[in-house]
Amino acid sequence: MEALFYIFAFIAIFSALMVISMKNPLTSALYLVLCFFALAGFYVLLDMQFLAVMQILVYAGAIMVLVVLVIMLLNISRLNAVKTDFHQKIIGIIIAIVLFGEIVIYTVNGMTKKPTGIFTHSVINKIGNTQVIGNFLFTKYTLSFEIASILLFVAIIGAYLFAKKKL
Amino acid sequence: MNNYLIVAGIIFCIGALGVLMRKNLIIVFMSLELMFNAANLGFVAVSNRLNLISGDIFVIFVMVVAAAEAAVALGIIVAFYREKGTVDMDKANELKN
Repeated sequence: MEALFYIFAFIAIFSALMVISMKNPLTSALYLVLCFFALAGFYVLLDMQFLAVMQILVYAGAIMVLVVLVIMLLNISRLNAVKTDFHQKIIGIIIAIVLFGEIVIYTVNGMTKKPTGIFTHSVINKIGNTQVIGNFLFTKYTLSFEIASILLFVAIIGAYLFAKKKL
Repeated sequence: MNNYLIVAGIIFCIGALGVLMRKNLIIVFMSLELMFNAANLGFVAVSNRLNLISGDIFVIFVMVVAAAEAAVALGIIVAFYREKGTVDMDKANELKN
């Protein structure tokens, strides 16, 4: 278990670094798919197999296919011509390090809360992963579920409007 | 669980770094996706530690929003490219002067 965690962590962090440092967007997209697979591995380690499958289907499947399709539509040599400023890089690295420091401080000091829920490892495995999520999704969170469907509908209209020939 | 949160923090910071330093719109978009995923990992880790299920439900909604956002954002990128002939973010400077 521990070894798997470190393997997934290494793959996720390495491929995330590759995503932001590659010059060609297509290479970045493929490394991003690798990162999503590593995160799906984390979800399996955290007893959420349903979310792992959703991660691969929705992110690595649907969203990344969309990204690769858009890269195909655009002219690849013009995509590669975009340069990065040096001073922008320095400022970005400083801000990212400060942000990470804050996250580490709050993570190490903050988490003292005791477990309050009833969904332990054995309970989730007894009922079944998908059943637990489905029960909550269609009882307590029904309103959010309906609103999500409206949001997806609006996104369809928005994507159509933006991709039209004449804006 | 702390280990998971640290990994989520590292990935989030890498995503933020990508948003701050790259000027290629497509790579900025992919860095945003990285940040979404880091937040998702944090949700699942905390919800696993506290024996709750709400965090996992929230991750599903984040995925829905991310999918909608991806469709609209890529539409905007295509429209931007058609207008300017490039995906350089600095070329979007009509409001500057």
